[in-house]
Amino acid sequence: MRWVKQTYNWLESRLQLEGPVKDAVLHPVPRNTASWWYVFGSAAFTLLILQIVTGILLALVYVPSAGEAWNSLNMLNHQLPLGWFLRAMHGWGSNFMVAIVLIHMAQVFMFGSYKYPRELTWILGVFLLLMTLGMAFTGQVLRFDQDSYWGLGIGASIVSRVPFIGRSLVHLLLGGPIIAGATLTRFFALHVFIIPGALLLFACAHVWMVLKLGINEWPMPGRAVRRSTYIAEYNKLTHEDGIPFFPGAFWKDLYFSGAIIAAVVVCAAVFGPYGPSGQPDPTIIRTVPKPDFFFLWIYALLAYLPPSLETPFLLIAPVLAIAGLVALPFMAGEGEKSWHRRPIAVLTLVTVAVIWGVFTNLATYTPWSPKMNAWSSDTVPERYLHGLTPVERRGAIVFQAMQCRNCHSIGGQGGERGPALDSVATRLTEDQLIRQVIQGGGNMPAYGKNLSPSQVTALVSFLDTLHPHNQPEAVDSAERAVTTIPAETGAKSSTKVKASASPQASAAPAGN
Amino acid sequence: MTDTVHEESKTPQDDRKEVSRRWLLLKAGALFNAVVGIAIATPVVRYLLDPVRRKSFYNSWISLGPLNQFPAGETRLATYVNPYRQPWDGTTDDTACWVRHISGSSFQVFAINCAHLGCPVRWFPQSELFMCPCHGGVYYADGERASGPPERGLFQYQYKVVNDELHIYAGQMPTLANSARLRVLNNTGNKGCSSCAG
Amino acid sequence: MKISALAGCVLLLAIMGCSHLPGAPKPGVEVPRPDAIMNFADLYHQNCAGCHGNHGMNGAAFDLANSTYLNWIDDATLRKIIADGETDVQMPAFGRSAGGFLTDAQIDALIHGMRTEWPAADEKPQGQTPPPYTTALKGDVARGEQVYQSACARCHRESTQSITSPTYLSLVNDQTLRTLIIAGRPDIGQPDWEADIPGHPLTDQQVTDVVAWLASLRTMTPGQPYAQPH
Repeated sequence: MRWVKQTYNWLESRLQLEGPVKDAVLHPVPRNTASWWYVFGSAAFTLLILQIVTGILLALVYVPSAGEAWNSLNMLNHQLPLGWFLRAMHGWGSNFMVAIVLIHMAQVFMFGSYKYPRELTWILGVFLLLMTLGMAFTGQVLRFDQDSYWGLGIGASIVSRVPFIGRSLVHLLLGGPIIAGATLTRFFALHVFIIPGALLLFACAHVWMVLKLGINEWPMPGRAVRRSTYIAEYNKLTHEDGIPFFPGAFWKDLYFSGAIIAAVVVCAAVFGPYGPSGQPDPTIIRTVPKPDFFFLWIYALLAYLPPSLETPFLLIAPVLAIAGLVALPFMAGEGEKSWHRRPIAVLTLVTVAVIWGVFTNLATYTPWSPKMNAWSSDTVPERYLHGLTPVERRGAIVFQAMQCRNCHSIGGQGGERGPALDSVATRLTEDQLIRQVIQGGGNMPAYGKNLSPSQVTALVSFLDTLHPHNQPEAVDSAERAVTTIPAETGAKSSTKVKASASPQASAAPAGN
Repeated sequence: MTDTVHEESKTPQDDRKEVSRRWLLLKAGALFNAVVGIAIATPVVRYLLDPVRRKSFYNSWISLGPLNQFPAGETRLATYVNPYRQPWDGTTDDTACWVRHISGSSFQVFAINCAHLGCPVRWFPQSELFMCPCHGGVYYADGERASGPPERGLFQYQYKVVNDELHIYAGQMPTLANSARLRVLNNTGNKGCSSCAG
Repeated sequence: MKISALAGCVLLLAIMGCSHLPGAPKPGVEVPRPDAIMNFADLYHQNCAGCHGNHGMNGAAFDLANSTYLNWIDDATLRKIIADGETDVQMPAFGRSAGGFLTDAQIDALIHGMRTEWPAADEKPQGQTPPPYTTALKGDVARGEQVYQSACARCHRESTQSITSPTYLSLVNDQTLRTLIIAGRPDIGQPDWEADIPGHPLTDQQVTDVVAWLASLRTMTPGQPYAQPH
């Protein structure tokens, strides 16, 4: 074994790394930071390494050409042994990395770690988050399937809203007038060279500062940060109640990183790679583009913004959000670190998390979008057709054929853009239904020009049957008053009563 | 700091003339590098900004094919190959648009891209509506906004009829930034947006 | 050390041997081009099931899995209906040539599937041959009303089964009426031409007459809302 020692000495006398590494590894950290709450940063770095390794392996095969990218991914999926597994690792690694970076950020925020003297560490962290999201988006673009193609379209449409230079920015973003070969190559450069280079540089600076400034001590209520005294207090803490970083705290980082990588492997093996979905042919318009998981919330937000607010919001909100994050350590650089004494911070985090969760959840079933195939693929439930008159049955056909189903569900199937119509007859009278169909309103297009009188009548007579058996259909209050006077019974209301009674009467035996 | 280092730094400082010469040389060197840097940067910036071009560079008149493909009173999908392209673009140069033949030689040619965020709108001839699968934008047959988040109607291409063929002036992805170059609809939905007008 | 090496080997073997992992992509493209879908079940579900019901039965519109109908109508007529639609009866045009999205090959796949994948198609018609799909005969309105009274009114005089309202008649064409009379709708209990008058199948002339009489009830302004006073 002497040659090992000799080689080590030969190298060490030239590299002279032993000192700095020992300093870094053995530097004392507060005993209470050897906690499972402090493992996310190192896990994020481990995931970054995993992404770089799997990314390089994929780059051996991937062809960054608009004409071939999609084919090369299908080749990876189907022809290279375990090529799909590498793609799945890279894809799930990306998801885990975004998630861990967000959790890391939330933990740092909760523990007040961004306060003096770690302001710059936080700011670099903010940019690391942005770059991680940038990697996730550009990675989705490199998949170059239909989702990626139209995702780029959404990106270009957002950029085009910038006043004055919007047109030029679109050209810069796309590398030309349309989404094509030049677009893919520039996103390839971004994803493979520019962002990862910056990401590594920033991550190293981030870690360097953690080593130099020390790991944030466990926040205690009442132990407030003051610029004048903090460093001395921290040094006292680490020297009186500190342990060497290695192995005291490091073993937890080690286990957690291992567990995260194992989780990525399991997800990759069980759920497989993302896509590629359909080929990026813009003439295939029967497609329903959807962004990847961590951009779903933006997708939902874009559906709910009022049209007049959309452009200002899209252009101003991101700037404000980033500025706010960067300014945070300067606005709150001193004071309490403990969440017990920072109600506004806790509330902010909870609010952001809830909003994010709600929007993400909404985007998984997109209630704002018409279901493009519902009219021709979702059948009218049999129980709603049973015992209908021939006219009402034609009305059900009109309901399907006029794409009403794309926005309105019945029997739990169909679009959710408009209200479900399973019990519409209890809410709207015949007259109100006719008016709503013809004039639209409340975000519903007017169908007056597109439906013949017969179609409207048949459609409304079908809709009028949609009410639970034990609940009567809505009737005009004036009409109800009329029906109570037998002598004056108008023809209209008498037939209405009859018509409303008959489907129930004939439906009753059907249940048996 | 050791004494030796201290002495070394002391010796040259004594000769003030030599120091100022050294600084002058350093400044000249920095200047020289700056000149070279700018000389390199100029073509690099030109290179980077190359895609930013005028509409007339990208757009041209393209035939959508003979008129008999577009029966009067109907709206049909037409496809064309984008005029500005590279051999490695694959299928991405193929572009779709909706052609509405109103009557005679009167047409409307709509972009496939939703005026909201560019997703592909689909025409439903039964309900005579365009629907967008992304955020639920809906348009009437004449391209006017019917409902949903779009702030204006569908983008339209300029068209002309030449030798019984329908030609459109196209070449760029239609967005709010270049929509003014397309024919803007005079609908009420087009308001409150500076970039629409510009 | 030995144990972890062993575990490593097992893991490696597991990965090497497993293109059968649940995450492994299925053969073929994940999302095929819409015009490359040739599978009958998918094509029918995406384009037809909404109105004609799952498996061609119990839908709002005509039951395509009707064995009389499938044995009665020829491929060319079906192809034409699917491709060009029948806009007067709310049947959309699905063919490329008419602004739809289905290719000729896909329409043929649909027709082939209807004829081979539904059990109804195998039931060969017993007894008599039905009247032809189209007829050269001329209908007589007065005779048609008599036939209607004897063959149809039994059920259709019920107000819940009325088919004489102008609204209904404006939403169906003569061919729809002829198809419904001859093929019936077994899925919702409407008899076919043989069973309308038990033991006396309707003749071509009788069917044509009934259609003519119903057609004579159409009005210029159909679709008046609210039922008319009796």
